[in-house]
Amino acid sequence: MLHYSFMQNAVLVAILLAILCPLIGMFLVLRRYSMIGDTLSHASLAGVAVGLVTNTNPIISSFLATSLFGIIIEILREHFKRYAELILVIVLSLSVGIAITIISAGAVHTNVEMYLFGSILTVSRSDLYTVLILSAISLATVAVLYHQLVFITFDEEGAKIAGIQTKLINYIFSVLVAATISVAIRIVGLLVISSLISLPVATALQIGKGFKLTLLFSILFSFIDIILGLMISFWINAAPGGVTALISVFLLVSTLLFKKLYFTSIAVTE
Amino acid sequence: MITLEKVWFTYTPNGPYLLLNLNLTINDGDYISVVGDNGSGKTTLMKLLLHSLAPSKGTIVSTFRKPVYVPQRFENLNTQFPITVYEVLNCYRKTLKIKEKDSIFHSLEQVNMCAYSQSLIGTLSGGQCQRIFIARALMGQPDVLILDEPSNGVDLKSQSEIYQIIKKINRSDKVTVISVEHNLKAAMENSTRIYHLSQGHGHFCSPEEYMQEYLLSNARSDRYAAL
Repeated sequence: MLHYSFMQNAVLVAILLAILCPLIGMFLVLRRYSMIGDTLSHASLAGVAVGLVTNTNPIISSFLATSLFGIIIEILREHFKRYAELILVIVLSLSVGIAITIISAGAVHTNVEMYLFGSILTVSRSDLYTVLILSAISLATVAVLYHQLVFITFDEEGAKIAGIQTKLINYIFSVLVAATISVAIRIVGLLVISSLISLPVATALQIGKGFKLTLLFSILFSFIDIILGLMISFWINAAPGGVTALISVFLLVSTLLFKKLYFTSIAVTE
Repeated sequence: MITLEKVWFTYTPNGPYLLLNLNLTINDGDYISVVGDNGSGKTTLMKLLLHSLAPSKGTIVSTFRKPVYVPQRFENLNTQFPITVYEVLNCYRKTLKIKEKDSIFHSLEQVNMCAYSQSLIGTLSGGQCQRIFIARALMGQPDVLILDEPSNGVDLKSQSEIYQIIKKINRSDKVTVISVEHNLKAAMENSTRIYHLSQGHGHFCSPEEYMQEYLLSNARSDRYAAL
């Protein structure tokens, strides 16, 4: 399977995704922003559509568009403090509106399906380089800001008082989310990206450890999800997005069941 | 020392004013309890002292270089948050750019919580959690410690432990303490002076004077209740 060059590219991107998605997802989930991740991944369709019409690399155009929507969400958050979910509806209307208008007007001559569902065959060398650069920058940024992000996620008010520029970091973080999403579009497709961002974290939270260990476990789970997803979708000839999403749910449910059985058995022996 | 001179404050541009013409001086080494009913402006006053709000009118002059804040324990804490005590203190240490890792254990020692460094924050009791937040504040070697109802949601035994720790920080380590209090017993036992806020006005009083005012205003509201 791995001697196909498209599969090698796909596996390389998958490994990067397995690290990047839960890393960003950890902060999104714990701040109760998982829906922001989901909204932005749908919003990236606007970027893909614009990219396809203007003949620019869709990864780059979706990164730019998603960053823009991420920043719009941050700005609107100031205005709708108590109605955070309303912002997501506004941004979804705008972005999906743009995408549907462009695509349905017949301006796009490529198949959009692969951006929605993900595809293994389409990861080209140049895609690989774009993905490598975006991932490297994102990972480096998280590494530099790690402790400040943990602080803001745990106690935003305290972080502000301790002198962290929470607003600036929130904006930077929005761009990081956008980068992660645009990197993930090729493989898992934009419809189910949030399964890769949120579900491995949800699974790791079941283990009940500290921040770093939970993060490491969520990277492990996302690695299992995406590699199994790629292999199975290759064998059954389906889009990797769907298979990966299903495996991530399966892994979460198994963990929940295992935890329940484990604790029941402890209670019985005691 | 921190001095408020003719300080007025409102959240909206045209009033109504929440704090009216406050004049007060807090000296180095003081232990001040700020008391008053809900909505009397205690938390707003805290935010002014922390410089996270600016007065609408008047001036605040402070010689304190390192004010730190200990939030109310139950206000925002998500008990399912996956973070250990060590990690809570470590991200604070990194933010303040403190080089020595020992400072984490040193500050845990000050609140007698060394044994819990690897515990998850959500598994701690209210009192233990409050002590962790005090330890976190101490890492910055503050010159003034600002607390928001430190005994809120804490059982009686842990309350006395917490106040002993705060008192020790104030008396032995010479850190000025400003504490918003609903716990009148604690305010009377521990603080050097009490600042009473009522309907936007404030004044200092001794614990005994405050007791008189408290009884008087309660007697008045009892009379209203009787009507």
